[in-house]
Amino acid sequence: MHSVRKHTRRLNPALLGLVLTVAALAASACYPDNPQSTFGTAGPVAKLQADLFKFIFWIAVAVFVIVEAAVIIFSLKFRAKRGEGLPEQTHGNTKLELTWTIIPALILVAIAIPTIKGIYETAEPPSGSKDVLEIQAIGHQWWFEFRYPDSEVITANELHVPTGRPVVVKLRSQDVIHSFWIPKLAGKVDMVPTRENHLWFQADEAGVYFGQCAEFCGISHAKMRFRVIAEEPEKYAAWIKGMRTPPDAPAGTAAEGRTLFAGNCSTCHTSDSYRDGAYAAEITQQDNRFAAWLANPDPEGPTASRIVSAPNLTNFGERITFAAGLRDLTRDSLVEWIRDPSSIKQGTHMQAHAAVYQETDDNTAKLTDVEIGEIADYLLSLKPGEGAVVETPDAGGATGAEKGRQLAAANGCTACHSTGDNTVVGPGWKGIYEIAATRRPGLSADAYIKESIKTPAAFLVPGFGPIMPPFAGLSDKDITDIIEYMKTLK
Amino acid sequence: MSSNTVAISIPRLIPRPTERHWGIWSWITTVDHKRIGTLYGVTAFLWFLVGGVEALVMRWQLAMPESEAITPEVYNQLFTMHGTTMVFLVIMPLGAAFFNWLIPLQLGARDVAFPRLNAFSYWTFLFGGILLNVSWLVGGAPDAGWFGYSPLTANAYSLGDGVTYWILGLQVLGVASLAAAFNFIVTIFNMRAPGMTMFKMPLFTWMTLVTSVLLVAAMPVITVALIELQFDRLFGMNFYNTAKGGDPILWQHMFWLFGHPEVYILILPAMGIVSEVLPTFSKKPLYGYPFVVFSGITIGFLGWFVWSHHMFTVGLGPAANTAFTISTMLIAVPTGVKIFNWLATIWKGHITLNTPMLFSLGFIAMFTIGGLSGVTHASPPTDAQQQDTYYIVAHFHYVLFGGAMFGIFSGIYYWWPKMTGHFLNERFGKVHFFLMLIGFNLTFAPMHWIGLDGMPRRVYTYAEGMGWDDANLAATAGAFLIALSVLIFMINVLYSRLKKEKAAADPWDARTLEWTIPSPPPEHNFDQIPVVKHRDDFWYKKHPELLHEEGHDTAKPLGVPHGAQADGHHSEGGYGAAAHAPAGHGGAGVHLPGLSYYPIIISIGLALAFGGLVSTIVLSAIGGAIMVWGLLGWAFEPATEPAPGAHH
Repeated sequence: MHSVRKHTRRLNPALLGLVLTVAALAASACYPDNPQSTFGTAGPVAKLQADLFKFIFWIAVAVFVIVEAAVIIFSLKFRAKRGEGLPEQTHGNTKLELTWTIIPALILVAIAIPTIKGIYETAEPPSGSKDVLEIQAIGHQWWFEFRYPDSEVITANELHVPTGRPVVVKLRSQDVIHSFWIPKLAGKVDMVPTRENHLWFQADEAGVYFGQCAEFCGISHAKMRFRVIAEEPEKYAAWIKGMRTPPDAPAGTAAEGRTLFAGNCSTCHTSDSYRDGAYAAEITQQDNRFAAWLANPDPEGPTASRIVSAPNLTNFGERITFAAGLRDLTRDSLVEWIRDPSSIKQGTHMQAHAAVYQETDDNTAKLTDVEIGEIADYLLSLKPGEGAVVETPDAGGATGAEKGRQLAAANGCTACHSTGDNTVVGPGWKGIYEIAATRRPGLSADAYIKESIKTPAAFLVPGFGPIMPPFAGLSDKDITDIIEYMKTLK
Repeated sequence: MSSNTVAISIPRLIPRPTERHWGIWSWITTVDHKRIGTLYGVTAFLWFLVGGVEALVMRWQLAMPESEAITPEVYNQLFTMHGTTMVFLVIMPLGAAFFNWLIPLQLGARDVAFPRLNAFSYWTFLFGGILLNVSWLVGGAPDAGWFGYSPLTANAYSLGDGVTYWILGLQVLGVASLAAAFNFIVTIFNMRAPGMTMFKMPLFTWMTLVTSVLLVAAMPVITVALIELQFDRLFGMNFYNTAKGGDPILWQHMFWLFGHPEVYILILPAMGIVSEVLPTFSKKPLYGYPFVVFSGITIGFLGWFVWSHHMFTVGLGPAANTAFTISTMLIAVPTGVKIFNWLATIWKGHITLNTPMLFSLGFIAMFTIGGLSGVTHASPPTDAQQQDTYYIVAHFHYVLFGGAMFGIFSGIYYWWPKMTGHFLNERFGKVHFFLMLIGFNLTFAPMHWIGLDGMPRRVYTYAEGMGWDDANLAATAGAFLIALSVLIFMINVLYSRLKKEKAAADPWDARTLEWTIPSPPPEHNFDQIPVVKHRDDFWYKKHPELLHEEGHDTAKPLGVPHGAQADGHHSEGGYGAAAHAPAGHGGAGVHLPGLSYYPIIISIGLALAFGGLVSTIVLSAIGGAIMVWGLLGWAFEPATEPAPGAHH
């Protein structure tokens, strides 16, 4: 008896420890302000998920306390004492077995009912919701593309949504599996190539919410993040309008940067999706860029693709972050990024594949610091302008060869094709028109070049791989102008 | 060579090894289940150290936010190999070590049904593990996760050979697992001692049987999935090639259709161990034996209907998610039944809190936490927030470390005296247990809240200001405490080897047949094959009065001197006095299977043949030739050499 009392006293610290553990577990709900806390909910979907978790959690706590207390109390209370015989040899009791089969089963039924209700409520917006906003999100290694089909707006890594309105995000992936997750707004749903998934959420309060890819997707999975910017409907409408408004013509260093951007970056990065028809063209272009990469994904290979799918940079200067939510948008960070992307995010396809990063010892950009600064200035200048003038390459009224020159720069042709006879990625353009006339008997130079731009794989120049993407966004007239420009290169 | 002489000449290619072999050759040619068990155990423990070091490097990297101690490439290789190693090279083979050592002893048999196949399983496991890890030395380990989700494993996204090594290594390991599983199923069905009906088998034997049946059914699924992936990568086929219409979700279904039963393959052996240890150190029979057996079988069976709970966020739709929610919640019921029966077993027992018992109690305590967090993600709406976060990492480590590894350590301390003839030191053992318990909880408990706080898994770094810093630092500190506890275990093993505190045949006053024979057991195990009348037969031989009290058949158990009393150390009674027979004397005339070179030869050939697929096809040809040679030699070599005097 004496020893039993002693044991009872010894139980107190053990039980205290148990209670403290549970309290610590419960305290985990006390940091809703952390950027990705699943308890800091800001909309109905995340709230349902958090509430259901709390419901199951407290049931689990009850079971936890019962089992852990039993382990600790039994093992201390029933310790063998010297000189005692065998304990009673109990073999089992069917009633007890039924009890601890049925009671847990009933508890699980209690959990299953709100669970199944929750499955259906989180699957679709409430029936009868009006004015559901549909957005398409596409996962890429390692960034997110967002398309607004109703407004024909394309952007990347920052998702603008209006508050108080259900949003359905259609989820797809261009390459591997990613997972779309905004902890404070909704649990994740995977982005799977070959399928379209969707999730819905609603932001009740304006704010900037953190999102992150949740499915392992390769080297820079850890750095594939994004932001959701929820704003009042008027502000959201203004943002959409801004995305359809071209920036003012760049001046000074930004104007220099624009030329450099056209020559080095614009094959993969579109920056003018405010143009009519640009939305459809960009979707095709992005697919073509990906196809070019997929055909030659090995950056070390002899026919390495120089083209990869890339974020649309329209009105980039409006962003608050860049590089998939990794850095606040500042000129310094942008310069650091352009010079050497892997100093911020390792393994980017941009650095591995784009021509401007090749042939240097450390794979940094083949540009001077001044030039990089000019590109940064140009990108930062990309904000909705004063006038609604759509500035396309022929804004100056250029025609013929001059317009062709502008088109070649704007579409990134000159990123891969020099105007001399040297090879950058593709063949140089010096004398290309004369050469084109000789390539296929019976096929005129005009027809040959036109076909080559529309279906690059149709004719391959010996020694060059099938890496050029088709340029479906170019009209026949555009191509004629480019050919005019080519004729001037002798 | 003319064809009619082949049959005779092949066995002569290598003379049969005899008992003259000693040292390393005696291990290479052994077919003794106990020695093979030791080989499994030692090898798996070495891989445990490798997997542990991989974990420590990852925790070092994650101790601070924005750390660049290692590159993402290396981190991705580390977490892929840590998971693959701990599952396939540590917990599974540690289970196999116990199966090998204990199944024949608990059944009252002299060896497993197919001793050479058993040796073949071990060598194939060893070479499979080496093939997997060779990748570290030749340009990079696999880096697509232990789950290898398609299309990240496709050539376009995994340019190196790492993923190919992963496929081929797992294929070789699968052969080893299948061979072992068949062996144990046949052994358990056919080699039980006379009188040992299925429901008189020890619980550990039952769980081995369930595990082996799961293995036989689960391994082919992953084998098929891996062959398809292998053909995609090596021969340009398109099973999972999304660009050509292949389906990445097919891989996920195949992987988890294997992967979920695999979870039970990992945990059921530990549940078997716990079910042996708790009764022994409570001096009570296992409470609700038939319920514990049937809950194990039920878990094994239901384990086939829950795989898509790993895929709740894949977008299979609300109907599929509902179905898999229900099946997943169902499986919590038999798991709970086990836990309650274990608690009832220690209730009013006379409990000895020594190291094996502490680890078994730790198993119940930690596994329960893993089970409860499991219920929270059996619910798809809450799982949508938890999937692929550190919450999941916490959950499955509570199941596989707090559960499976604690159970395995319990088994190591419990059966060590039987296997080696001496005890592990108790004081070191207790320090090991408490350090590991504290280190384990310090590592994995905080992961629950960083997961709920939004930290995804498989990230090599994280941003500052997310609120994850303290918990990550604590987890890293805990990981090094775990490492310290493992170091103390190793010191304990060395110290105990030097100290050699001798163990009697039945040092724990235990209940099953392995405790009726000397420690360590003689090569032939039992002088006389025991005859069994009751469940826990040995216990009743030591306590025949209990039979009367409990109203069993009151006839005397065979061979028990009337009124024999257990004295707490060993028994006088029963089983042909094997407990006292010196190994050299007993077993005269017992015919044991002969030593053989062929198991290791075939295993080498198999590993080379697979290794050739990722290096040069010449190697595959050589490996294939060695395999054919070994198979022919094996086929023509009798299991037991008819010539007298080749062995005991």
